[in-house]
Amino acid sequence: MAHPDNLFLDGVTLCAGHKTILDHVTLTVPITGMTLLAGRNGSGKSTFLKACLGLVRLQNGVLLVKGQPPETACKQIGYMPQGLNDAALMIPAISHVMAAMNGAQWGVSLPSRNRRENAERLLALTGALSFARRPLGLLSGGERQRVCLAQALTDNPKTLLLDEPLAALDHEAQHQIVSLLDTLTRELGISILMTSHETEALDGKVSRILKLENGSLHV
Amino acid sequence: MFEFEFMQHAFLGCTIVSVLAGTVGWFLILRRQAFAAHALSHIGFSGAAGAVWLGVSPLYGMIAFSLLAGLAMGSEAKGVVLSPHRDSMIGLVLAASLGLGTWFLHEANGASSMATTLLFGDVLGIDMPTLLALTGVAVLCLSGLVFLGRPLLFASLMPDVAQARGVPVRLTSLGFMAIAALACSACAEVSGALLAFSLMVGPAATALRLGLGPIAGLVSAVALALFLSWGGLALSWMTDIPVPFWIGLGAAACYGMACLVRR
Ligand SMILES: Nc1ncnc2c1ncn2[C@@H]1O[C@H](COP(=O)(O)OP(=O)(O)O)[C@@H](O)[C@H]1O
Ligand SMILES: [Mg+2]
Repeated sequence: MAHPDNLFLDGVTLCAGHKTILDHVTLTVPITGMTLLAGRNGSGKSTFLKACLGLVRLQNGVLLVKGQPPETACKQIGYMPQGLNDAALMIPAISHVMAAMNGAQWGVSLPSRNRRENAERLLALTGALSFARRPLGLLSGGERQRVCLAQALTDNPKTLLLDEPLAALDHEAQHQIVSLLDTLTRELGISILMTSHETEALDGKVSRILKLENGSLHV
Repeated sequence: MFEFEFMQHAFLGCTIVSVLAGTVGWFLILRRQAFAAHALSHIGFSGAAGAVWLGVSPLYGMIAFSLLAGLAMGSEAKGVVLSPHRDSMIGLVLAASLGLGTWFLHEANGASSMATTLLFGDVLGIDMPTLLALTGVAVLCLSGLVFLGRPLLFASLMPDVAQARGVPVRLTSLGFMAIAALACSACAEVSGALLAFSLMVGPAATALRLGLGPIAGLVSAVALALFLSWGGLALSWMTDIPVPFWIGLGAAACYGMACLVRR
């Protein structure tokens, strides 16, 4: 059912180039709490997340994220792509977070204390405040990861799609981020759908595991 | 030096162009499109040559050509296109239009002095109609930038995330390239096609090298561009060395100093 807490797929076929990621998949699964999307390298996890955001078109079928098609669902989703953002390395990290606030609205935003404080609050939440004024390019991989997470949290998303958020982090940092994500799901009711190979750090925290293999997706 | 009308015009022209070059240049460098800025002003040169051949004002030829080229470049600039492909695209658009430019000059025949003016600019020869056209272009570009502002910045900093949040990335990129093309034509009017680039790139690159955020960066890029063009004009008045010389060397010197300040 296209319930507001569900991920709903009906006869979904999804391709990346010539590779078939999903082959006529029909599935309804709740995505409240923390959901881990598992699968081997190249099985299509990143592509599936992009399909949930409307960045990649389905070949066939219907996909609903919390009852909405990707094109409208994406407005309430915070997204953190795989890999490090290397687009504008000379700009301070905090500007990256501020640029994401209402970033899709036409026009300019005047400098305001409110926006800055909001950005600082999110950066503090992800443990990135101490290096927020340094240019993004001078930060380590793990530090950049935390900035990206802060940015995904802008505009109060109801859902987070995180692509390998634990990559490039050491074990202690992984545990910190996982417990932050756990807090977000429990206190703010945010649903998290994430990919990761760090199953050890996630032990006991995930609500369910979705497995993507050989063109099928199952719990 | 302000008692002469041509100097007043020159200073006014430089002011308009500097504001434009500072802001548009900042976004160009941020988006790693320095090569596009370079190409656009040269493509403008071909358009100007065409206009001379047809007997219309070079500024209009410049605008027409670089606008077309800018849109061609922008249409390739989507996220999925790898950046080496984007650079090849720009290079080939540049090559084709330089070829056309040469032919236009040849057809316009005997216009080699005209070519020099187009390449190196004639800031002391700015007349009232040109000044008005410049103002029009500047108002158009700046209001375009204000309209695109937030999505353009978002898409420049994080293209994937911006697209996921519903920013029309391709449209934004096309709009920005159109603005950049107009701005390059205006800059070429002052510092010449060959050095239009220095006003665009020098101040913006310096601001970004200093690690400034968007607002501080834009403000200082404009301030630096004003400093360079006014300074260049005054120095050229005193020394009789052409303006582009001062702007070009000044731009490089500013960037050098920024490198020294930041390590
Ligand atoms: N734009 C594309 N064009 C062609 N093939 C692609 C494209 N994007 C992804 N692929 C292929 O699709 C497969 C799945 O990629 P991806 O979703 O990144 O896997 P994962 O994230 O699970 O490691 C890979 O084999 C990859 O080579
Ligand atoms: Mg992946």
